[in-house]
Amino acid sequence: MKIGLEIHVQLPTRSKMFCPCPTDAGTPNSAICPTCLGMPGARPSLNRAALEMGLRLAKLFQCQVPERTWFSRKTYFYPDLAKHFQVTQYENPVGEHGLFDFRGKPIRIRRVHLEEDPGRIRRVGRPGEEMSLVDYNRSGIPLVEIVTEPDLSNPAEARQFLSDMLTEIRHTIGLTDDGEQSVRVDCNISVGEERVEVKNVTGLKNMERALKFELVRQTKMLRSKKPVLRETRRFDEERKVTLPARKKEFEEDYGYIGEPDLGVYNIRAMADALDEVETPLNRAKRLCDQYGIAEGTSRQLVNTSMDLCDLFEEMATASDPKTALFLVTDVISSYWARLSDDLDLGTRGKMIDTASRYGKGEINDIEARSILRGLIAPDDSVGTEKGEGTQALDDAIEAVLSSNPGIFDDYVKNERAANRLIGEVIGRTRGAYSSKEIVDRVKERLQRGP
Amino acid sequence: MSEDISDRIRALNDIYGMFYSISDTDIGKHAFHFSAKDNLATKDHPTTAGSRILSGYRPPFDAAPVESLRRAGGALLGKTSMDEFGFGTFSVNSAFEVPRNPYDIERSCGGSSGGAACAASLISGHLALGVSTGGSISCPAAFCGVYGFTPTYGRVSRHGLLDYGNSLDKVGMLSADCSLIGEMFPLIAGDDPRDPTSCGHPEMRDMDMPTRVGVPRDSVEELPAGLRQTFDSALEVLKEELGMEVETLEMPMFRYAQPAYYIIATSEASTNLARYGGMRYGARGESLDSHFDRYFTDVRSEYLGAEAKRRVLLGTFTRMVGLRDRYYIKALQVRHGVISEYKRAYQKVDAIITPTMPFTAPRFNEVAGMSALEIYLADHLTIPPNLAGMPHLSMPCGYVEGMPVGMQMVGDHWEESMLLKAGEAWERVFERQDPEAMV
Repeated sequence: MKIGLEIHVQLPTRSKMFCPCPTDAGTPNSAICPTCLGMPGARPSLNRAALEMGLRLAKLFQCQVPERTWFSRKTYFYPDLAKHFQVTQYENPVGEHGLFDFRGKPIRIRRVHLEEDPGRIRRVGRPGEEMSLVDYNRSGIPLVEIVTEPDLSNPAEARQFLSDMLTEIRHTIGLTDDGEQSVRVDCNISVGEERVEVKNVTGLKNMERALKFELVRQTKMLRSKKPVLRETRRFDEERKVTLPARKKEFEEDYGYIGEPDLGVYNIRAMADALDEVETPLNRAKRLCDQYGIAEGTSRQLVNTSMDLCDLFEEMATASDPKTALFLVTDVISSYWARLSDDLDLGTRGKMIDTASRYGKGEINDIEARSILRGLIAPDDSVGTEKGEGTQALDDAIEAVLSSNPGIFDDYVKNERAANRLIGEVIGRTRGAYSSKEIVDRVKERLQRGP
Repeated sequence: MSEDISDRIRALNDIYGMFYSISDTDIGKHAFHFSAKDNLATKDHPTTAGSRILSGYRPPFDAAPVESLRRAGGALLGKTSMDEFGFGTFSVNSAFEVPRNPYDIERSCGGSSGGAACAASLISGHLALGVSTGGSISCPAAFCGVYGFTPTYGRVSRHGLLDYGNSLDKVGMLSADCSLIGEMFPLIAGDDPRDPTSCGHPEMRDMDMPTRVGVPRDSVEELPAGLRQTFDSALEVLKEELGMEVETLEMPMFRYAQPAYYIIATSEASTNLARYGGMRYGARGESLDSHFDRYFTDVRSEYLGAEAKRRVLLGTFTRMVGLRDRYYIKALQVRHGVISEYKRAYQKVDAIITPTMPFTAPRFNEVAGMSALEIYLADHLTIPPNLAGMPHLSMPCGYVEGMPVGMQMVGDHWEESMLLKAGEAWERVFERQDPEAMV
């Protein structure tokens, strides 16, 4: 089977792509202006930050960056599209013919292009009296679309690939985790000859589900010698199935023409001038090579935080890689989430000093741990006793339970329902407990019943 | 005194229909008065671009050129009538008032800035803001016997201009007095970050009028005798009194300018007009209960005029998959060819001169008998400079049977000042005949 992805990620700019409206407004239609409303006579001017982020991503994926780029109008009628055309890129996008090294397997990147988001339609009103309202806060929010060649071969691989890719994207353009949740993917999947497109799937988990569903559906059809139609489908998140999309919605001729209100941008020089930053996955590779640590460990380090990697490297220089790794993974990483924001230079210096003394044998492992714990978590330093220490964990579990009252029933039917709870508790306790502690505690609690 | 002007304008408008809306402001207190074509957004007037689909629309901002003239102390007299969205040569495609020629009310003012030319011709000391996409300033200026100045594409901000073809649209000025244009034009020229295509160009520099001008051979062939004679006499005056050298040029690329222009202009127009669907401004559909496709179709069928529909259809066709390369992309290449041809000519001459229109203002009943194609072909002298984005000035140069004849001078990009100098020199040697207003 072959899978190709079209990945849409929101660029974390402060203002919209073509107007000065802010990108973080909450109240519907509070961040709008004549430009993003498509008022007659208002026109766009390009946000340089959006172009720069696009170029950074094009470089990240080793794309060819053309000498010049421009924007195009994609015309279609839809109530959330203010101008009834979307400003996007058609010819000469910011990047083409790239490559992503996915754990040793090259995945070809067809193109990277920039475009504006339309508004959002919201259905409101009681059943039977529903109506549609349009919120234009999103109208003109900058997006990047990354299109891969059909080089992925199964749903799990596609999910891993996208997860890796997002790790790199997040670091390259400063995307928050929220941005990652809202990633939208169009999936192209063919088990036999014909290609099926599943449009507009949100998030990694849904993408994998949609692909799995298609894999099974297309395989069954082929086995029973029924033709798989070349078509566009959508993913129903509630029912976890793909359904044929209304033909009209996706099979229009968009009649692309150049966007004459924006110029032609000379981007090659601009792209060359952007400084190269080491991405998390490249760093993980380097950590393996340079310090001889296991691949899984190095990935864990970069996924926790690039700052933590800095600390590791500084400690490794002050002592040796083995010592540094022991201290970082044993004590420091579990406190990292609540530590990293306000780790002052003095404390950092003392931590590195501790690593150095431990490395030279001046102190033993128990002393080193104890000193580090004292530095980074003075409140619960001297030996966390069970009972007192798990109070916060129990509180978190109860808080999550109270907002998910149905979970006990779910758990009786399927034990995996616990995972939802565990995920939320991990989020709430921000690294204060090991995952084993949390899993045990949650299961114990669920078994007791409501 | 202001009362007198307002009353006179209303009386003129009753006969000539040059305004879509007229201001109530006390214009006596202002340094000068001007009008704006109704496709320029104004906060205090409805702005319809001659279309019913925008009836009642009042923009939340002023177009940049209107804003600039107001800031300089100008009073806006009103909004002038036009062909719907600029789609026309005779201003008869307006959903509202059709302006009537100041020299003969049975005849057209030309278009699409017909109301602007009519106001410039009949109101003394008046400055009219017009807009040209393919000749919409030159044509009515010629038919109404006034000066019509179209700058280089990008010289004037299009912020607040209701688009026809964004890569072609230019805001310019019309007046019976060319030196007034020369004085006021710098006010509206220059960079405006709200329109990126207006930024980063060479400054306006002071230039002398041209000394060598060229006449493309094709432009004077097949002209009606009276018109040819008038144009030839004007050339004599340029030589004898202004000391210019006149030579004949071959410019074969110009014959491809027209098809290329109509493809680019309608392709862009069909996307620009997509936004008019009765959702947020202008006309509304009767019921919101239908599917959105139906709603948009109903509103657009009801409120767009026949010529607007024709151009939306043409433009949608020329950018369709499979046809796009043959039409739209090819037309872009032709545009480059036309620009190159101009650039070659400017190595030999300073400016190019032709009659503005191949005939004088037609009667309304003659216009009604013309096919869409015949009307499109009437623009063959005004389209090349517009397609190439070259600045041009139409000047009154004589009269045939009482109707004005215009000649059009085209300069190289950014050489506005040379053309305005020529216009000011011309108005010293040419005696313009004011129309006899019926008020």
